[in-house]
Amino acid sequence: MTVLPDSAARRARGGGRLLAGTARPGGEGLRAAIPFLLPAVGLYALFTLLPIADTLRLSVTASDTGAGAAAGGGLQNYARLAGDPIFWQALRQTVVWLVLHLVFAGGLGFALALAISGLKVGRIFYRCAFFLPHVVSLAVVGVIWSKIYDPYFGLINGALYTLGLDSLARGWLSEPFLVLFSINIASSWQGFGLYMLLFIAGLQGIDRTLYDAAEVDGATAVQTLRHVTIPGLREVMTFVASLALINGLKGFATIWVMTQGGPFYRSELLTTYIYKLAFQLQDHGRAAALCVVLSLMAIAITVGFNRWRERVR
Amino acid sequence: MLRRLGLGLAVAAAGIAAGFAPAKAEILKIWGPEQITDPVIADLWNGLKADFEKANPGVTVEFMVPTGTISNGAVQAAIQSDAGPDLVLTNSGVGRVGIVAKAGLVVPLTRYYDERGWKAQLYPWLYDTLKGQFGGEIYEIPDGLDVIGVFYHKDMFAEHGWTMPDSYEGFLKLLGEIKQAGIQPLTVGPRNNANGGHLFGNLLQVSAGRQVVGEVLSGKRPWTDPAMVKGAQRLVDLVAADYVQPQMVGLDLDAAARLWFTKRAAMMVAGPWFTNNARKAGFDMANAGYATMPSDIAGESLATGGVGWSWMLPKTSRHPDLALKWLDYILSDAVMTRRASHQSSWMVYPRALSGLKPTQPVLASVFAAADKGVGYNPSVYMPGNVLEAYMQVIQGLIGGQIGAEAGMAQIDGQMQQAAK
Repeated sequence: MTVLPDSAARRARGGGRLLAGTARPGGEGLRAAIPFLLPAVGLYALFTLLPIADTLRLSVTASDTGAGAAAGGGLQNYARLAGDPIFWQALRQTVVWLVLHLVFAGGLGFALALAISGLKVGRIFYRCAFFLPHVVSLAVVGVIWSKIYDPYFGLINGALYTLGLDSLARGWLSEPFLVLFSINIASSWQGFGLYMLLFIAGLQGIDRTLYDAAEVDGATAVQTLRHVTIPGLREVMTFVASLALINGLKGFATIWVMTQGGPFYRSELLTTYIYKLAFQLQDHGRAAALCVVLSLMAIAITVGFNRWRERVR
Repeated sequence: MLRRLGLGLAVAAAGIAAGFAPAKAEILKIWGPEQITDPVIADLWNGLKADFEKANPGVTVEFMVPTGTISNGAVQAAIQSDAGPDLVLTNSGVGRVGIVAKAGLVVPLTRYYDERGWKAQLYPWLYDTLKGQFGGEIYEIPDGLDVIGVFYHKDMFAEHGWTMPDSYEGFLKLLGEIKQAGIQPLTVGPRNNANGGHLFGNLLQVSAGRQVVGEVLSGKRPWTDPAMVKGAQRLVDLVAADYVQPQMVGLDLDAAARLWFTKRAAMMVAGPWFTNNARKAGFDMANAGYATMPSDIAGESLATGGVGWSWMLPKTSRHPDLALKWLDYILSDAVMTRRASHQSSWMVYPRALSGLKPTQPVLASVFAAADKGVGYNPSVYMPGNVLEAYMQVIQGLIGGQIGAEAGMAQIDGQMQQAAK
């Protein structure tokens, strides 16, 4: 048995209490932990907290040149946002985008995970093949899908013309009610692979005996899905939904590459509008205010979703 | 003996060090030129870079591949990034330059126009235009001028017996005949904005005339002026007649050009840079024709344009003196003539260059159009916040989401806000 010196034993005991959450603030354990925590806390403060604080400051101080105080000061930038019809349109479209991303990327990921898990052979191949789009950058995805959606030379309209289905050919990126849907498909195509992998991992964690029992009880595929698979994936679903919501809120690159918010603002999201305000129009104050609104939206959605999940549980 | 030899070597080494010590290493980072990744263009610019470096020992010139323009915020983001360029070459015009000048991202160059003799190296009218833009301050050195007109296929026109008419009515008749022949009359790519502005600018010019457009851009007349609304209505009418198709809103410049290069479309409104797009697409421009859009107003069948590309000095430039030296070099006769004679050349340069033959036959028509005078391409003359609305309205007019009067009223609203 190793005998620790008194001081080392005290440190060890202190550390144990700290880990157990019983250490007193300012205690020896905390003092020992501080040097280890400092680098991470410092980096977090520098790259996360400081920019957040600066954005908050800009949102209440910067004018439309980003240089001086906002005319009227204080909440002027928020008031200007509230009176801006493009902001409201972008807000509505962001919500639609979010829902579409959740349905397309999350839904497709779930469906493919189920399909691949049921395969006897080729599981690894399909898993890799379907994950592949996720390693392509969103900007490249935007370029590829712009070509696919080209109304004259694109793959989709080309196939429709070849099949004699001319009436179904569309201006995928020009029709106001289609454009958000079309870009979202491109964006979800890039994203679903990750969700699929998470669902596959979740499926592997479900006790196989539950499936055997369901089979013995004569449960149909739908009943098995409803009473075994979905309850078994509840935690993963929550995680995927949270991830999809946050990724959806960050939707920017594909839209920027494909339409830059057009036609006539019909694919404008809060993120693209932030970029335009900040870097095209140099209206840093309003852009910062919009960043704050977007962050609050993300927090509200995440908190709301998690509360709902707790209640359901 | 050895000691003497050592001493001699040390003296020689010191002499060599003193005589041949390289100057302090400096890297001049230049944003641009556009399409520097194109081997033909890289050939020209790498040659210019090598000669500049040779004349300035210790200096290395680095070209940054532009990720965008002032219009999409890429230049502003680069300048503010702390790792940005020492000098910028990008799409310009008073609207775009105004964005970076107003934000204090570029420094005034006015005094260098006299100090370094740049004033004498531009067309006098061009210098006067620059001087009148920002209360006498100049923030740019024009690198090239844009001359936007209608490109068409000469062989296609000859085959069908079509000629470019001299009135707008005649132009509409021609579009109808082209449509009847089963060819798309006009192609446009407004998805990434610029090309929608080229077509719309031409329509405004032939409908309202240079003076009216100029007065609208300077705020002396509203965008809802009947002559301007007429231009917007003409775009709506072109779409209604299917001479411009609404799904073209989903096309960018390259996709629209592809319709023209494959001869599925008869005409496209573009500038001299279009010959470079054609070269990259492997399209032979030998049969390309260029004309200004016909107008019913006498003398108003003019190309549109103005300053298309400019050099600007970011306030964050680490080597402003070196940047000024590069600008002297670029404006020199030797460099400008070398650029104009190079196979990649398509530009209308900011001063007359005598004795030069256009590198492509169609450019002779472009230069001739420039000699007639150039109307305004509003895209490059309007403030940044108006520009975004302008481009979206053009998309809305083509896509049928907004009418001519409402569209112009929307632009006017932004213009009034910008004037406050």
